[in-house]
Amino acid sequence: MKRVGFALVVLMLAVSACVPAATPTPERIVETRVIERTVPVEKTVEVTKVIPTLTVIGPWAGAEMDQFLPVLKAAEEKLGVQIRYRIYRAEDLSQVLPPQFEAKQAPGDVIFMWDWWVRENKDHAVDLTDLWQKEASQFVIQPSTVDGRVYAVPYVLFVKPGFWYKKSFFQKHNLKPPTTWEEFLALLDQISKIPGVKKAIISGDGVGWPLSDIVEHFLITFGGPELQENLIAGKVRFTDPQVRAIFAERLVPLLGKYFSDPVEWTQAIDLWWNEEYGLFFMGNWLTGMVKDPNDLGVFTLPGARGVVGGTDWAFIPKYSENVEAAKQLIAFMISKEGMEIRAKQGGKLASRKDISPDVYPPADRALAEALAKIERPNVPDLDDTVGGDWQRTFWDQLKLLWVRPQALDSVLRTLDARFPTR
Amino acid sequence: MRAWRWWKRIGRWGSFLGFTAPALLLILFFIILPALQTIALSFTDRQGAFVGLRNFVQVLSDPDTFNLPGFPPGPPPWGSIVHNAVWILLHLPLTVGLGLILAVLLDRARGATFLKSIIFLGMVTPMIVGGVIIRFLFDENAGIVTAILRAVGLTELGRSWTAYPETALPALILGSVWLWVGFSMILYSAGLATIPRDYYEAAAVDGAGPLQQFWYITIPSLRPVTMVIVAMTVLWELKIFDIVYTATLGGPGGATMVLALQMYFYAFRALEFHRAATVATLLTLFTLIVGLWFVRTTRSPE
Repeated sequence: MKRVGFALVVLMLAVSACVPAATPTPERIVETRVIERTVPVEKTVEVTKVIPTLTVIGPWAGAEMDQFLPVLKAAEEKLGVQIRYRIYRAEDLSQVLPPQFEAKQAPGDVIFMWDWWVRENKDHAVDLTDLWQKEASQFVIQPSTVDGRVYAVPYVLFVKPGFWYKKSFFQKHNLKPPTTWEEFLALLDQISKIPGVKKAIISGDGVGWPLSDIVEHFLITFGGPELQENLIAGKVRFTDPQVRAIFAERLVPLLGKYFSDPVEWTQAIDLWWNEEYGLFFMGNWLTGMVKDPNDLGVFTLPGARGVVGGTDWAFIPKYSENVEAAKQLIAFMISKEGMEIRAKQGGKLASRKDISPDVYPPADRALAEALAKIERPNVPDLDDTVGGDWQRTFWDQLKLLWVRPQALDSVLRTLDARFPTR
Repeated sequence: MRAWRWWKRIGRWGSFLGFTAPALLLILFFIILPALQTIALSFTDRQGAFVGLRNFVQVLSDPDTFNLPGFPPGPPPWGSIVHNAVWILLHLPLTVGLGLILAVLLDRARGATFLKSIIFLGMVTPMIVGGVIIRFLFDENAGIVTAILRAVGLTELGRSWTAYPETALPALILGSVWLWVGFSMILYSAGLATIPRDYYEAAAVDGAGPLQQFWYITIPSLRPVTMVIVAMTVLWELKIFDIVYTATLGGPGGATMVLALQMYFYAFRALEFHRAATVATLLTLFTLIVGLWFVRTTRSPE
């Protein structure tokens, strides 16, 4: 047995001597090092340039998205980045973002959101003060700050200029835009009597904001831009006699008689364009949503010294993996070049002072020129500025008022009681 | 021998824990701990200080939760708790009754599978889409329901139901019956298949008519199925959210506000997480009551 074992060991040693070693011996390592030192080796290093892909999240879909995408395409070419666009409404983002931020994640690199919301969540946003200060003097609208720092910057402007009408419809029925309140009432009467017209004005609905736009226009017209600003600041209450009078004497008498029930606002565009209704109150993005923008006319309520003008606010979440590229993208979007590209598409107005009206399509140019004559074309939006749950309450209470005008006092009491500063 | 038994017992526990631990850990970290944290949050303020029942008092005194001055005969809003209760009172009997009737009518009927599939489509439709469909079903300009009502002369009901506080909640409830009835119908169909034919044959020999057979054989035999349907439906009604969110957003004037939506608004619009947690705790309490009732009923020999 011992012999067999000995023979096996010898055999194994012999075999191992014939087979190349799996691991180099120490001498061989030394030898390799010497070779590396003495023989120059030319190496080719492949450098792969990583092109960042930025995700931009905004609320625009359909025609509005089509108007925005050329800006992103231009940015891709100029900045050498790839950009993908995703649609999220602010209402949905308010649900999506908090848990994402808690997990230190961000669904996008540049996000358009309510500015009040960004202020509330500034700890999760990148400080854009330096970026903004380079351009600030060129803008007609300034961002709200937190401790002097800017976390969201304004993009293009939307305005809510008043009641839109089809020029062809007005010509066909010999109607004219009103210049006094009495003429406005007479116009509503005339439209109501046209065969086939269901109501003089179609009321847009969605989550509720189209109704709030109408109400704000009445408040600004009959109480001045100051009333709107005082309401925002909480200096004037919704139960104030002046506010109540505007509702009770100007708006409520028209509700059942001339305004339709709230109709989903994109559906409302079609019904109005088909001449089932004569007038439609909407923001200037409407110019990009109708078949023939050149057939559009618009008038404010007679005597209006101001109209609501606002903007979409862009911010960068702290948890973006491309913060620097995202900053460059925002810088491009708010630059003269970037904003001109957007203004050319129509549906929005530039928030920069150095953009010529010639850039706009005809319908938007006419609007820009009309706004130039208005004392305050950028009164802050009431519900967007106050924000929070009050904004939803405002929309919801107005939906109630529209179908139950007799609930006016209850509506005003609710709006007052739920105002954030109460 | 004693040591051997001891080792055997440890071995059994070891395998039990080994197999169940992954699931138990997931349940612990992703369900039990968050639930406990939510309950704890409902007893604290924004700063995390203990405030006792203050959040509960505030939430229950919010007109969005209870608005008794507007309670019937006045029109809604009545408050989210009452709206949830109304939902249960109307939706539950309609869904259970209609599901049973459809299941019995389609039992052995020609083309039953096809018809059942059509009815069950409501269940496979995402509820968020269901809400949009409901909104348009009852819309003045685009709705088929309102068009039919106008055609039969009910012009007053031919307007947009979701725009008016009196009709918004009924519109959502009726729409959700359409979405949910497939569930009860399918369960009842399965239940009907388990009832032995002998029962009916014996009853027929004894002279029982179809109605008597339905009342004395079908309904008692389907009792366990009914328990499941009732429990599942009530739980669904308590946590109803998506339909309301997309159809009315709780409006107009809070006329369709429900507890889950109120919780959402507290959390994501008002950013008041402790109040949202309070509503969540109340919802948990209500669902626990239903759950306990269900467990007790199914355990009883009757």
